Amino acid sequence: MLEAINLHKSYRRDAVSVSVLRGVDLAVREGEFLSVIGASGSGKSTLLHLLGALDTPDTGEVRFEGRRVDTLPARDRERLRNQSVGFVFQFYHLLPELTALENVLMPAMISRGILRWLGTRGAVRKQAMDLLDRVGLSHRLHHRPRELSGGELQRASIARALIMNPKVLLADEPTGNLDEGTGAGILTLLRGLHSDGLTIVMVTHNLELTLSTDRVVRLAAGRVETPSNPSLRLLSPAC
Amino acid sequence: MYKLLLGWRYLKTRYLALVCVISVMLGVATLIVVNGVMAGFQTKLRDRLHGVLADITVEGLEFEGFHNPEAQMARIAASPVGKYVAVMSPTIESPAMLQYQFRGATITKMVKLIGVDAQSRAAIGGFSEYLQDNDGKPRPASFELSDAAKFRLDAFRAPTPPAPLEGLPTGPGEPPAPDNWIHEEKKITGAILGHGLAHFRQPKPDGSSVEVYTAEPGDIVTIVCPGGGKLTPEFDRFAVAGYFRSEMSEYDCGLVFVPFDHLQRLRGMQDRATAIQIKLTDYSKARLVVAELKNIFSPHLYAVQTWEDKQGPVLAAIEIERGILNVLLFLIVGVAGFGILAVFSMIVVEKTRDIGILKALGASNAGVLGIFLGYGLLLGTVGDVLGTGLGLTITSYLNEIEAFLSSLSGQHVFNRQVYNFATIPVDIRVSNVVWVNIGAIAVAAAFSLIPAFKAARMQPVRALRFE
Ligand SMILES: Nc1ncnc2c1ncn2[C@@H]1O[C@H](COP(=O)(O)OP(=O)(O)OP(=O)(O)O)[C@@H](O)[C@H]1O
Ligand SMILES: [Mg+2]
Repeated sequence: MLEAINLHKSYRRDAVSVSVLRGVDLAVREGEFLSVIGASGSGKSTLLHLLGALDTPDTGEVRFEGRRVDTLPARDRERLRNQSVGFVFQFYHLLPELTALENVLMPAMISRGILRWLGTRGAVRKQAMDLLDRVGLSHRLHHRPRELSGGELQRASIARALIMNPKVLLADEPTGNLDEGTGAGILTLLRGLHSDGLTIVMVTHNLELTLSTDRVVRLAAGRVETPSNPSLRLLSPAC
Repeated sequence: MYKLLLGWRYLKTRYLALVCVISVMLGVATLIVVNGVMAGFQTKLRDRLHGVLADITVEGLEFEGFHNPEAQMARIAASPVGKYVAVMSPTIESPAMLQYQFRGATITKMVKLIGVDAQSRAAIGGFSEYLQDNDGKPRPASFELSDAAKFRLDAFRAPTPPAPLEGLPTGPGEPPAPDNWIHEEKKITGAILGHGLAHFRQPKPDGSSVEVYTAEPGDIVTIVCPGGGKLTPEFDRFAVAGYFRSEMSEYDCGLVFVPFDHLQRLRGMQDRATAIQIKLTDYSKARLVVAELKNIFSPHLYAVQTWEDKQGPVLAAIEIERGILNVLLFLIVGVAGFGILAVFSMIVVEKTRDIGILKALGASNAGVLGIFLGYGLLLGTVGDVLGTGLGLTITSYLNEIEAFLSSLSGQHVFNRQVYNFATIPVDIRVSNVVWVNIGAIAVAAAFSLIPAFKAARMQPVRALRFE
């Protein structure tokens, strides 16, 4: 459902150009739990941003449900980000002035005008509370981000990514900054969501986490390669 | 919706923004206070300038005035605009010389002699409220002498001269002997003198001054004026009945009022007048009435003017002054605007990551622009509301505040001698407050526009990676 075809992306700073992605081809299948691994700086976040329509590639195509999205007008890309893709950031990225509940509600608020918001507020709030309950944060609804622990922040950010019922969840090292136990909890949560039919692409450093995903790909030298490491191959039976 | 929520939260959590609120508040408060005081002074000055002038005057352009004022007034009353006319009063105006004796010296002054019908003139306004006796107490609008004045008049009156010798020819054109004016049967008419014509301020060694009356009620003054038809000198003696004190030196040092019918006889202007004073029921109809009266009274023979037409240049000068002051003061709000610009630019930089997050969640450029524009408007509005409150409070307690400051510094902040006002006049105009508010909010919005655009144009990924 989500396809990257021959993606190139380079960052230019002054005269120096850093070529990060050099022909990435990747196809994410509907209902799949895909994990992307790679060394630090290999361009995993860059790839995820391109897939989530946060950024545009230099060349190549990104297709979502068969439709090319990287060349869409800004308005359509905004709608795509808002409604079809859920994004979980490595550093949570919650808005510090808002409570956990308000942060979760934010995509819904963005998608609606003031009148429609006031009309549907009750239902959306209910949905947000259910989501926070599901991620185990129902006791922290009205806390500000700085009053929450890392794990709680990540749970809130997952709830936020789910509020618009997206078709795919893109998670950039969702456990990167968490201790093992908390990370495992997050992973259990993601697996639960996956078993409910959500397509998930997860970037991670942690090879152990890839054990419970359907498929693993590795980013190296600006390209996607199937892991050559036998142990990894063993770890990713679906590949 | 999220724009409002975020704008509101930013306002509550950023103390830096308070600086903007306060600067807008101070600007708005200053504008309201200064405008209130300016308008107060303007209203007072307008009252003063209106002074002795009737709402509308119809003046004959001929030196000898116009015929039959009663009939002219009847024409006005019967005209379509007659219903707007409250009172009319005929007057005669003439240049004249005033002369009287004070401590053996002869005092002579150029004056404008006005013959008025005391009762109807009083109804026109700008006359009876300014009349006073030498003790400063108001006096009724009449030329009757008070008992004290009558006593003084009799006491100083020269004894009845012997009757002129019989047979002595008094040829035609030969002026009568002055003493013949005063004899028991001749009733002396009262005149009301401009206050400045009959007193002076005598400085004392300690720096203060005392008012000295040079012509007291009951004293006799001689007035010479040209006759109505030909330029023959006519003169008569009058007894001072009271003073006219409007605090406008132009009037107080130049006007002498005498009874209308007496001046008619003195100047040989039987059944004539030089002007008709008109008071309207509703001054807002003045333009309409003037236009209509100009149809009735030929512009070759009559001048029809409102009091504002007569005082046009002075009123225009005050208005211009107020306009310039407003422009200058609005610069204060402009300064507040630059404060907003600076603080907002900082906040936008500080909020770069949040902007990235919002964009990643699907917020459009217009949406992000809206947050910061809304934030600016919110700041402006809050500053506006506080400033309006502060400004109105200061204006309403201005005299108390002045008294307090004066007691602190031991000196009058507002010197009442200069303007002759008992209190600082203030006049708050709703339209003015509304304009100040609109202006301040517009400035707040305009200056938040640049940072808001900067925020709106940010690339989401770059903003997210911003450290
Ligand atoms: N805006 C930018 N300007 C210049 N270089 C950039 C920019 N953004 C990223 N890069 C570079 O692109 C490369 C890939 O960055 P990216 O964040 O995608 O790596 P990553 O695989 O996610 O790394 P990590 O595992 O540490 O998160 C890095 O070398 C980084 O320095
Ligand atoms: Mg990364």
